[in-house]
Amino acid sequence: MSTNSTVTESLQRAASELLSDVNIAVIIGYGRNGESPFSHPEFVRKPEDVERLVFDDRCFGNLAVYLSKDAIRRMGKIGIVVKGCDLRAVNVLLREHVVKREDIVLIGVPCTGQGDPLPHKCSVCEQRNPQGCDIVVGDPVEQPQINAEQKYSDAADIDAKSIEERWEFWSGQLSKCIRCYACRNVCPLCYCKRCIIDKTIPQWIETSAHLRGNVAWNVARAFHLTGRCVGCGECERACPMDIPLSAINQKMAQLMEEWFDFQSGLSSDEKAPFTTFSMDDSDTGIL
Amino acid sequence: MLKLTIDGQQVEVEQGKTILDAAKLAGKEIPTLCHHPAVPPAGACRICVVEIVAGDRPGLVPACAYPAKDEMEIQTRSERVLESRRMTLQLLLARSPGSDVIRQMAKEHGIKELPFPEQTGENGDDCIMCGLCVRLCQQIIGASAICFDGRGPDRKVSTPYKSQSDVCLGCGACAFVCPTGAIDPADYCPNPIEKIPNEFNCGLDSRTPIHIPFPQAVPNKPFIDRENCIRFRTGGCGACETICPAGAIDYDMTDEFVEEEVGAIIVATGYEIMDPSIYEEYGYGRYPDVVTSLEFERMVSASGPTNGELTRPSNGKPPMSIAFLQCIGSRRETGGKPYCSKICCMYTAKHTILYKHKVHDGQAFVFFMDIRAGGKNYDQFVRRVVKEKQATYLRGRVSKVFPRGDKLVVRGADTLSGTQVEIAAEMVVLVAAMVPSSGVRELSQKLRVGYDEHGFLLEAHPKLRPVDTNTAGVFLAGACHSPKDIPESVAQAGAAASKALGLVCHTRLSREPTIGVVDESSCNGCFECEGVCAYGAIGPREIKDKKGNVLATVAFINEGLCQGCGACAATCRSKSIEVQGYRDDQLFAAINAIHR
Amino acid sequence: MTQQTSDSSEQSEWQPRIVAFLCNWCSYAGADLAGMSRFAYPAAIKIVRVPCSGRVDPMFVIKSFEQGADLVLVSGCHPGDCHYTSGNYHARRKLLAFRELLTFLGIDPRRFKISWVSAAEGAKWSSLVKELTAEVKELGPFETYSKILTGENGR
Repeated sequence: MSTNSTVTESLQRAASELLSDVNIAVIIGYGRNGESPFSHPEFVRKPEDVERLVFDDRCFGNLAVYLSKDAIRRMGKIGIVVKGCDLRAVNVLLREHVVKREDIVLIGVPCTGQGDPLPHKCSVCEQRNPQGCDIVVGDPVEQPQINAEQKYSDAADIDAKSIEERWEFWSGQLSKCIRCYACRNVCPLCYCKRCIIDKTIPQWIETSAHLRGNVAWNVARAFHLTGRCVGCGECERACPMDIPLSAINQKMAQLMEEWFDFQSGLSSDEKAPFTTFSMDDSDTGIL
Repeated sequence: MLKLTIDGQQVEVEQGKTILDAAKLAGKEIPTLCHHPAVPPAGACRICVVEIVAGDRPGLVPACAYPAKDEMEIQTRSERVLESRRMTLQLLLARSPGSDVIRQMAKEHGIKELPFPEQTGENGDDCIMCGLCVRLCQQIIGASAICFDGRGPDRKVSTPYKSQSDVCLGCGACAFVCPTGAIDPADYCPNPIEKIPNEFNCGLDSRTPIHIPFPQAVPNKPFIDRENCIRFRTGGCGACETICPAGAIDYDMTDEFVEEEVGAIIVATGYEIMDPSIYEEYGYGRYPDVVTSLEFERMVSASGPTNGELTRPSNGKPPMSIAFLQCIGSRRETGGKPYCSKICCMYTAKHTILYKHKVHDGQAFVFFMDIRAGGKNYDQFVRRVVKEKQATYLRGRVSKVFPRGDKLVVRGADTLSGTQVEIAAEMVVLVAAMVPSSGVRELSQKLRVGYDEHGFLLEAHPKLRPVDTNTAGVFLAGACHSPKDIPESVAQAGAAASKALGLVCHTRLSREPTIGVVDESSCNGCFECEGVCAYGAIGPREIKDKKGNVLATVAFINEGLCQGCGACAATCRSKSIEVQGYRDDQLFAAINAIHR
Repeated sequence: MTQQTSDSSEQSEWQPRIVAFLCNWCSYAGADLAGMSRFAYPAAIKIVRVPCSGRVDPMFVIKSFEQGADLVLVSGCHPGDCHYTSGNYHARRKLLAFRELLTFLGIDPRRFKISWVSAAEGAKWSSLVKELTAEVKELGPFETYSKILTGENGR
């Protein structure tokens, strides 16, 4: 949980080699301005600029979000620095044909967590050593065993409430939503050219920042990510109104794991639960 | 070409052919025992001797082995030939008095007396030492498992040291080719002799690896069962290639996968007979004289395992009494099929007629529940069977079939007289239920055609669209849809064919317009829609610029295949798919109307 | 259907409104059969016909609540009988998961029902509607949503 100068050096070296040897158009990685508490994304195109790349314990941000941008895809072959959580998002992008595997170079970084104190998502991370990357910079780190209770604890806190208490909680939270769509913009898996919120003929979801529309928006967002969300937590981190979006995402991820033994993003050729079915799926709760 | 005269008739053969070949061409029959077209000749039995009168050294020679020569004159039935043949037969008959083949041949040659003592009992030996089996095993099969062992009167066909053979393949070719049926490979082959059951005859007899599956097969050509064929198993044999006069056998042929793009598919996968062994009370599989109706059909068929002779499997004699038990497995709410198999009442009546035809003094009984004879002239047919006493019809179910002595007792009810009856029958035919062909479920899943709990394929509408399925372009005909007989199957086949033609004969296909349409400008190309489409109607479409560079790959819906269910529209997150007639705005309008 | 003015709706007793999405081949035909067989059922139910239960996007449920539905029903063919082979299997997964999402947010799951009604089940349809109407009458109007509509409690 400190600045990792050796990893940064290996990263810069690997990036430099990639840019000189293998005809990569751009490398997407993390950069830092001095002592700023956050990293920012760097798009390095020339070998001499690789010193702008860093990796440490304040590399928040899921860089996979850039893989779906046309402007970047049009540049050519892309190298991208990925932590374990980011790699899961890349796997979903691969299975949804957003990028082709041969068009990206995955630069994996073993990660013991970002931030201090460690956010919940890092304390339950099962992908500290990203698998299946083209290059891994840095030595493998210890991977502790995680149990399901820990993974979905934010959702469990809500589940412990009664229906009325839950509505009390969520109507309060969702009233705060200002419909900035930061959650959508920062999510790597929200890549639709025309989001459902932008569809006006007919209008699916009201656009004004009023509870009725806010509920519809947040329900749609959560449901469109069900079976896809990888739990990178960026949506919650980006939300300017501190709405606990992770709890909702966790609930749906827990459901997918319990019902269909499915976790999103562990490989790029998995079958999403909503595009498959089993004749033996449960009928519990159906009249 | 060589010119020969055989019994005064001129014939031409190629160099290298034998006198026997020439005689065959000339239409002259010469009897043989140790000759087989696939095996090199040995001239061992001397039955085929003929007399050379000119063109070579005069005398008796074996026709099967002696080469034809130019200007030869042959007599096949001169006094000298006939005397020699008779002597040979008398010797053979003395050696093998038990052999039907030798006895028949002797009878044909007018042999009544035997000047030699008959070797009966243990001394008798059906083996005539012709060596066909040995030559076949050595030169054709290539296993060399058997040979001639011993000398003089002790000479016998045997394995080395009369021990169990290490190399015998159990192919049974020696038994197949033996003219008297004297050899049994089970005597020296440690491996079980696997007879290949003839599938078309319900396993009642066996077949060779190269075979025509059934008499009216289309195409009516033999094919090789590679798993059992010796050529493929060991590299030996190859007899079929040797004797095929058309040179049609090519061992290098392999199975091919043929891909065809078609506009319509007609499913006509037919039916099978249910296996009645689950009904232990009827003894199928336990008592050899209990057979299914399909097995009976094959037994009475002239092309069947017994060439049409109806014999009891237990003792080979014709059954003087026979009981047909209808509705085995059909019309049962539990423990069988709930439906009526439709064809059985009629074919059982036919079977009773066939039975009486084969066994004039036999007595047939039919246990029935109802007679279903609804087709044209069908009822008259059954009534005729009853009236002309072809069979005694008893209305009742059978509770049990059990042996008594060498007969089978069929215990059932006769509800019309209100009594229990017991019939002692020499054969029992279980008229088993009709079920769809096995493997049809996997096929129908591939074709996206529905099927019911029995495996019968689902029609689009039971009254108005009996040959369509719910999948466009796939039609049904015959018993795969429901039990039916030949005229109905033919009619349905005609209907399905005309429906298929109706699809392809137009230049334009008209269909319901309530199908999905993709908005290519907003489609992201994630293809989750493709995953949920039950009809495979969604595929990729490349959007290219004027130079041909691919700008994007979006989803595309095939108008011919889409059935308009809307699963794709519900799955699409960007709402880039609309189902005409059930568009989002139309459904929202319906929802919005509720508060008015 | 006569239009009610806002005055009369305040004065008369609250009538529950159930929006039902019925698949054309099974549930809609079953409702049709109920009608032909003269099985009576309450008029609280407003039917929206869809080709298949798989056509139903779960957001339709939210839309229905927003428009004033007190209960939403989605009904399709029994599993294995879908006219389009697999539409109802997809619907089953999505709708059951969606109901969990709503429950998680505090939206009463009793307000969202899912059923399988076949084309032969006219009797089942009418007794289902009677049952649901009675249930929703007991639950009362769907205030979670109606309060958002009227902007009460400052929300």
